[in-house]
Formats: sequence, C-alpha cells, structure tokens
Amino acid sequence: MTTSAVKIQKLSKSYNGSEALSDINITILDGQFFGLLGPNGAGKSTTINILTGLVRKDSGNIAVFGKDIEKDYRFTRSQIGTAQQELSIDWFFPIEKLLQYQAGYYGISPKNAKERIEELLNRLGLWSKRKSRLRQLSGGMKRRYQLAKALVHDPKIIILDEPTAGIDVELRHELWDYLRQLHQQGKTILLTTHYIEEAELLCEYVSIIHRGKVITEGAPKNLISQMGKAGITVHLTKWDDTLPALLQSYSYTQNKSQLHFTVKDAETEISKIISIISKNGCQIQRVETTKSSLEDVFLSLTGRGINE
Amino acid sequence: MNWIGLWTLTSREVGRFFSVYRQTILPGLISSALYILIFGFTLQQRIAEINGVPYTLFILPGLIMMNTLTNASSNTASSMLQMKLLQQLPDILTAPLSSLEISLAYIIGGTVRGFVNGTLVLLLGVLLIGLPVSSPIFSLGYIFIVAWTFSSMGLLLGQLADSWDQLAMMQNFFLTPLSFLGGIFYSIKMLPEWAQVLSFFNPIYYMINGIRFTILGISDSPPIISFWMALAMALIFFFSAVALMKSGRKIKL
Ligand SMILES: Nc1ncnc2c1ncn2[C@@H]1O[C@H](COP(=O)(O)OP(=O)(O)OP(=O)(O)O)[C@@H](O)[C@H]1O
Ligand SMILES: [Mg+2]
Repeated sequence: MTTSAVKIQKLSKSYNGSEALSDINITILDGQFFGLLGPNGAGKSTTINILTGLVRKDSGNIAVFGKDIEKDYRFTRSQIGTAQQELSIDWFFPIEKLLQYQAGYYGISPKNAKERIEELLNRLGLWSKRKSRLRQLSGGMKRRYQLAKALVHDPKIIILDEPTAGIDVELRHELWDYLRQLHQQGKTILLTTHYIEEAELLCEYVSIIHRGKVITEGAPKNLISQMGKAGITVHLTKWDDTLPALLQSYSYTQNKSQLHFTVKDAETEISKIISIISKNGCQIQRVETTKSSLEDVFLSLTGRGINE
Repeated sequence: MNWIGLWTLTSREVGRFFSVYRQTILPGLISSALYILIFGFTLQQRIAEINGVPYTLFILPGLIMMNTLTNASSNTASSMLQMKLLQQLPDILTAPLSSLEISLAYIIGGTVRGFVNGTLVLLLGVLLIGLPVSSPIFSLGYIFIVAWTFSSMGLLLGQLADSWDQLAMMQNFFLTPLSFLGGIFYSIKMLPEWAQVLSFFNPIYYMINGIRFTILGISDSPPIISFWMALAMALIFFFSAVALMKSGRKIKL
C-alpha cells in the first residue's frame, strides 16, 4: 500500500466573503512529484499556505502522513520544507547565517546544520555568496536561496510555490534537474506552476484548479490522452480507394494526399496507422503529429487558456 | 518545547538590535544625558525640591522608566511589523514553533533591550549626578518587569498594526502621552485633584512611582500597590500578546 504524504479533504476558504477555495480534495502520495496547475488567482498559493500554516482554513481537513496539521503541527511542519511565492527581504544577516537560523527553528543546532548548509550552498551555486545579504543577490540567486532554505532541515515533503517564476531558461533547467534528483531520492514534491511545460515535464500527477475548484486531476499523459485531441497527419505519395474501408475505425479527414487523424494517444496509434496504410501498398511521404498539452485540457474544460 | 528553536529566534531578536546599537542603544543614553544636563544646570535652581529631593534626582527614575518602556515596546513592535512587511514571518510561522515560543522569543528580545537601556540610564545617573540607589536589586527587578510589560505590549501593537503609520500613531497617541502624564517630571500632588484621580488610571504612573521608591525611597503611590500594578500589567500584556499570536488573527490570513 502506498501511503499518502498529504491528504486534503473538503478544504474551503474565503477572504472577506469572497471564495478562494471551495471543497478542494487533493491526495499526494509519498514520493510523488505532484503539480498544482492553474491560472493566476486559481487558489494555488492559498491551498499551499493553508497546508503550511500561513493561512487559516474555513473548513476541511488536512493530514500530513496521517497527522492533522493543526493538532500535530510540530510533527507535520517538521516534515515539510516550503519555498513561498513571495521572496523575503532581510538586510541584517548574511545568507549563511539566515540558513543557520532557519535550521534552528526546526530544532537543529548550528553545529549540526553546518555541514548541510555548506552542501546546499555549494549544490545551489551560492557558496561564493554565503557572506552576502539577501538584497545583494540577483533574483535568480534569491530563488535558489529560497530553495536552500526549504531544504535546510532535510524535509520529506518539499513544497515549492512557483519556484521558477522570473528565472532564465538555463537556470530553470538546472533547477528542474535538481528537483528530479530530489524526487529520485524519495522526496515528495508539491509544486505549483502555471508553466504548462514544467508540469508536463516534471510531475507524475497534476491537479488542475480553476476558481478555487479542482476541475480535473491525473497523470499529465492520461489527461492529455483522455482529451482525444492529438492529431496525426499522413502525407501520401500513392493511395487507392480501398483505404477508407481499412481505416474505418479511425476518425479522420482526407484532403487528396493528406490524411488527418484525430486520436487519443498519438504515440500508440501512429505505428498502427502507418502499418495499415503501408500494408495496403500505399506510400507514405511523411508523418506529422500535433500533440496536445495540458493547455488543451484546461482549454476544453474552461473555454480559456491557462495563461490568458 | 522546541528549545533550540526558541533559543534561535531569541538570539536573532537580540542580535538584531545589538547589531544596530547606534540606533537602539545610544539615542536613549544621549537624550537622557541631555535631560540631566539641561534640568540639572538650568531648571534646578528655579524648581524647589520635590518631596525633599533635588529636581534632577527626582526626574531620573522617570527617565529610566521612559527609556526602558520605549525601547522595550519599540523593539517588539517594529520587529514584528517589519517581519510582516518584509515577508519574513512565513519562515517562522511554517516552522515547528508554538505561538508561545514565538511570543517568548520576541518578548525576551524586547525585554533585553529595555533592560539594557534602563540600566544604562541608571548608571548614567549614578555617574553624572551621584544618584543614590537605595535598593539596587529591587530597582533592577523593576526595570525588568517594566521591560517585560512593554515588550509584551509592543508585540501586541506590532501584530495589530498594518503599517508604520499605524504603529507610530499608536505610540504617539497612547504610549508617549501616558508616560509623560505618569509623573516623570512632576509629583502628581502638584496637579489639581481631578488630574490626580485620572493619573490613578494610568498604569505608567505606578511604574514610575514604583521605581522611584526603589531608588529614592519616595513615591506618590504606596509601593506595594505600585508593585502589584506592575506585575498585573506584565501578566495582562503578556497573555494578551500570546493569545493574539495564537489566534493568528492579525498575522495569518
Ligand atoms: N490576502 C488575501 N486577501 C484577500 N484575497 C486574497 C488574498 N490572497 C489571495 N486572495 C484571493 O484568493 C484567490 C486565490 O489566490 P491565490 O493567491 O491562492 O492564487 P494563485 O493560484 O496562487 O495565483 P497566482 O498564480 O497568481 O500566484 C484570488 O482571487 C485572490 O485574489
Ligand atoms: Mg500563487
């Protein structure tokens, strides 16, 4: 049996009478790379902030490894490391010291935290900046510092609220690599994003939320294939009239030498289609696929794009 | 208890004001020295003794109290508000720290600052004008209780305030008038009767007279009442600050 790392049940929250979350249910399995996807204002940060204790819920239950986040907050909070969406500012202390404080809040003495902090600073390319104040770091460095801060007590669950916002492509890929590594080490990762690519690439499972409701959830691949929207276009150099009969189980359109198929899962269907056509003595010039994405999933459910 | 967590947050709070001692310790000392010099060399000749004590000596306990309470309260208030405004609070609120531990760390930080400032002004008085301190242990104890009280009050105000403006308003319209009206510069016996009665409702009146008694042996209010009032205030503000923290009403959305 796989245990759940986080279980959110019937969670609702209003800010001054306007509803931000209504009856959210989310289950994140131990060791899962989980994505919370949704447009601006969907309720991603609100969900995360309730889970981490920054925002008070109106109703519902949240358990972390089976323990209630309010009754057993010492246990649940020690299991979680968070990088908030908003960057913090501090001009008193160098970042090395700030990380030491952070470890201290989790009950780790400076002596025991030292090695871990050094390792994180090195791994995240911040070693040479360890004596700098936060305001002396670039935006990307601040994001990396935030990740270090989330990891300093070696939590089992890592929660990242838009970790790659405002980060250049190169650094984004480095961060993705690092997150994959953490995932391989067995960490549970909860990530919010409105980058479709990020969710598709990293997450094993996503919940898509919109206006405070989970509108669909599942593995990105399954969600996309359930859409039935992948397209395969086959360009023929030779064809005959028997083709329609052979392909009758597919939905497609023919425009002279071009066949356009609409399938659920392009990857499995493409080889079948090619073999049917080529057995029949037709000749294929080339094949194109148009893949749909989580963007299409969102579009079909809400009638608008995620980043519109 | 998360002792390491409590210790960490406390040492951060204490380190924060020590690292900027030019803003947190020196100003109070300088202004107290000015009060002593100005009153000592100019007004003293014109103002008769109060309750048998020269005027400069009379005001010194009040100056100690004023320094203690403004420093203690502004440390917690501004630290809390600053952490709120600079997005530092989430780090603490998501950590396995209880509301009591968080409150204690802040309050100890403010108490240390208030205590250091009050004690330094006391020493200044001893050095500059030979302030006789009749029961030093009690004086220090008083400074501690008052520092604790106002440190707690500052934590309350810091949580309630949403901006520096609001905080300044609470301090200017509430704290400063009450401490001036508490009898730093005068004995309330010099006031009309209605004003004397009003003073009884001012908690700072008891604190100023309490410490005045431990130093000079004179007081407008009975020492034992001053002591119980100070202790009661310390407990009331402490528990209110912790309760507000626990409810999360002003720091969690
Ligand atoms: N402090 C607050 N006070 C009032 N309303 C809030 C507050 N925080 C969030 N909201 C509202 O709650 C809703 C959800 O906001 P939330 O920050 O959770 O969205 P999000 O999915 O994280 O968006 P983004 O992608 O922009 O970060 C929005 O309508 C927002 O306006
Ligand atoms: Mg957000």
